[in-house]
Amino acid sequence: MEEKKKAAYRVGVIVLVVLFVLTIGEYFVAQIPGGVISVLFIIAIAKSWAIMKYFMHITSLWSEEGGH
Amino acid sequence: MSVATPYVEPAHHEHHELPYSEQLRNNRLGLWLFFTSEAFMFIGLLSSRFYLWGNTRPDLDQTLGLIVTSVLLVSSFFMNRAETAIAHDDRPEFLRSLLITAALGIAFLVGVVGFEWQGHIGPSDGAYGAVLFGMTGMHALHVVSGVIFILIVWNNGRKGSFSAERHWGVEACAIWWHYVDLVWVFFYPALYLMGHVVHG
Repeated sequence: MEEKKKAAYRVGVIVLVVLFVLTIGEYFVAQIPGGVISVLFIIAIAKSWAIMKYFMHITSLWSEEGGH
Repeated sequence: MSVATPYVEPAHHEHHELPYSEQLRNNRLGLWLFFTSEAFMFIGLLSSRFYLWGNTRPDLDQTLGLIVTSVLLVSSFFMNRAETAIAHDDRPEFLRSLLITAALGIAFLVGVVGFEWQGHIGPSDGAYGAVLFGMTGMHALHVVSGVIFILIVWNNGRKGSFSAERHWGVEACAIWWHYVDLVWVFFYPALYLMGHVVHG
């Protein structure tokens, strides 16, 4: 139980770090002149995928398992 | 001539209540369908930004944009922590993380409404002002509703309304908060990073 809880907290930390790195990446990509809109969109999609999968648990929508 | 139909008392009360796991599945689907309907509005706002601003953007405070974005990301982390805590019956951590999330949500609002809105662009400053205030205003409204939702869940949690087995209220609140974060993931680059700066 305790191990499971720690593992779940750890996932949250990893996702936060990834989101931070991608946000900083976005900031620096924006400093490059011209043609960065598509790259910024790709980064935003990657960030949104991480949020939906790990924070919003979108996979639970089609999961066979009931409960939380 | 009318024929009276005698009322027949049912032999037993039928139970229509679904099992909790089934309810949970329906609740989640309902919430995501609601998100889909909301997404149309946010996509509309995002489209208006590209239609009206094109490959330009106003000169916004980059440091402030990065700070408020980071604050919202950290708030999502604490919301996830609160949900994880209640799923493992860790009530003190659950309540603490909820309060931190609400505080970070308020900090985000202070950053956007208290600082960004007090800058050199007003809501009546043409397309730049209209889009900036339209997008940040609608998003801020959702942040406000999220903070209220979190405080309601915190108050119910304090009274012991949730358990590891049954905490749909917490899960819904968490998903709602992450959705607000998700919207900002697209709004931040659209407002602060994409296009070249137009001064004045």
